[in-house]
Amino acid sequence: MSIVKTITPAPPVEADFASSRYRMIMAARFTVGGFAREWGHCHLLANYLARYVSANEGDPERHATLLSTFINELLEVIFRNHAVEGQIELIFRKRGRHVILQITLPVTEQNRVFYRMAVQIVNQPDLKSWYRARLEDPADGEDTMLGLLELAAVYACSLTISEPPGQDRLSLFLELPEVDDMGEV
Amino acid sequence: MPVALNMRLTGNEEQEVTLTGTLRPFVADEMASVRSSLEQAARTTRGTLCVNLKRLKYMNNVAFLELNRFVRWVAHTRPGLRVKFVISSVIPWAVRKFQVIAELYPFVTIEVYDKAFYPIQQVIEDDDFMNVLRTQQKIIWEHEREKLAWHGLRPGLRIADICCGLGDFAILLQSDFRPEYLIGVDHSKPFLRYAWQLVSDFGLENIEYQYGDAAALLLPDNSFDFVSCRLSLQVFHEPDHIVNELYRICRPGGRIYLTNEMMSGVTGYPNEEVIRHGYIRFLELCRRVGMDLDIGLKTRTILHEVGLEDIKICLLGITNMNTAPHDFARVVESWLRTAKQMAATANAEPELYEDVSAGLTAHIEAITRDNGFAMWPIFAGSGRKPFRTS
Repeated sequence: MSIVKTITPAPPVEADFASSRYRMIMAARFTVGGFAREWGHCHLLANYLARYVSANEGDPERHATLLSTFINELLEVIFRNHAVEGQIELIFRKRGRHVILQITLPVTEQNRVFYRMAVQIVNQPDLKSWYRARLEDPADGEDTMLGLLELAAVYACSLTISEPPGQDRLSLFLELPEVDDMGEV
Repeated sequence: MPVALNMRLTGNEEQEVTLTGTLRPFVADEMASVRSSLEQAARTTRGTLCVNLKRLKYMNNVAFLELNRFVRWVAHTRPGLRVKFVISSVIPWAVRKFQVIAELYPFVTIEVYDKAFYPIQQVIEDDDFMNVLRTQQKIIWEHEREKLAWHGLRPGLRIADICCGLGDFAILLQSDFRPEYLIGVDHSKPFLRYAWQLVSDFGLENIEYQYGDAAALLLPDNSFDFVSCRLSLQVFHEPDHIVNELYRICRPGGRIYLTNEMMSGVTGYPNEEVIRHGYIRFLELCRRVGMDLDIGLKTRTILHEVGLEDIKICLLGITNMNTAPHDFARVVESWLRTAKQMAATANAEPELYEDVSAGLTAHIEAITRDNGFAMWPIFAGSGRKPFRTS
């Protein structure tokens, strides 16, 4: 199956975030070196951040379990695709019942190509067919992009990318689906 | 990747593999033992292989893909075998994730095992019934509050209230028992929404509520000082599963506290024979829909069999002399409405409901009559989890 050329939706810009529609929840920053030392950091970080973001929900535990699923998939992708040095920054914002996660990370050119391609695939018009085709004909090794595809195809997350010119960093914006106070999509 | 794996035969045709905990491997090779157990089970199963994921709280895409590869392996190696993924609505990511696999492969099904959890869930989530539940809670609390200290409740404890319903118990405990932290778990979202609103209105920050399955709690082992389960064991088909979970989450030295009704002991005067007969028939009707409203008598046995020590039992004897008759009558009226709906669900013969109706109506008359007498016995029991199991 080939990639259909589509227009990737524009990522939110800083000015958008300054508006009252977005509510800042939390920010976290850590070094690539520390994060990438252990695979288990993805799980621990995802659970910790999700619990924090869900603190004021009606059912914080269930809400956090769902958010952890989304955050973990993104962190796992980043664990496998990042430059060797620099800092990773996560910012959580909320708009209505949507949580938006902005993650900024140092990248190599190879990483940059990977993320551009991921965002393009995730924004395919017939993403569900793509996702199902990848399940029906799975790759032999690890399919490191499929986690992101699942977030979009199964849970209706949206993913956009922002690449400040001249920098070895990029930002991914993962907008999570509307989740009610009981942790239901 | 702390995942626990269990395999068991569940029938001549069925085998079940259970995965619990967390399944977030780096590469699929880390799932070799899970994959090999699944394949072993698939080779020896004739009908349906159940993959039980009810208590698998986290799973990443690497693990999901490996399960997908296993399903494909079944298609090629064991044609004719059916695979059923058993999941719980409590795990918020599970239904959508596995729905895709069920759509792709015709021999795969998904069972959301707690979809129709207990027989009268819809009946009791009705707005009117919720009001009655609040009245019932008010009546019982007046008698229960003075017994709770004897059952080991004191300020500063970490409490889990399982099957917390509308969450009133958590609020009522605040003034007398000031828990350090209390979590209420229930399987009714309308109840939990109500409970959450209540906590929010009172500005209480030490109370949380969780949508959950009392028979497969996601709470950690040995983590609460006091675990309560009030008037709830009676509505489940297999109450021992719940009691085992209460035991698991209670810390050694902590106490488990139950309240259970004994409907065969409900009585009143005048018309005591009609009342008694009505409640005996009511119990019969309840049993037909899988509920045991006479479980109160078994309270001591239940606490003993799960392995508790220092067991204490007392009776909360509610009568129309020590309770507002109007409130008491409202509660019995609600039972009458519930009985009608249960009779329809159970497709019971009309005489059964007529007997129940006659008995409960006579009970209401006894409650509200100036010189009548009526009672409703509830047993409150508790036991301590030993520090060491022999």
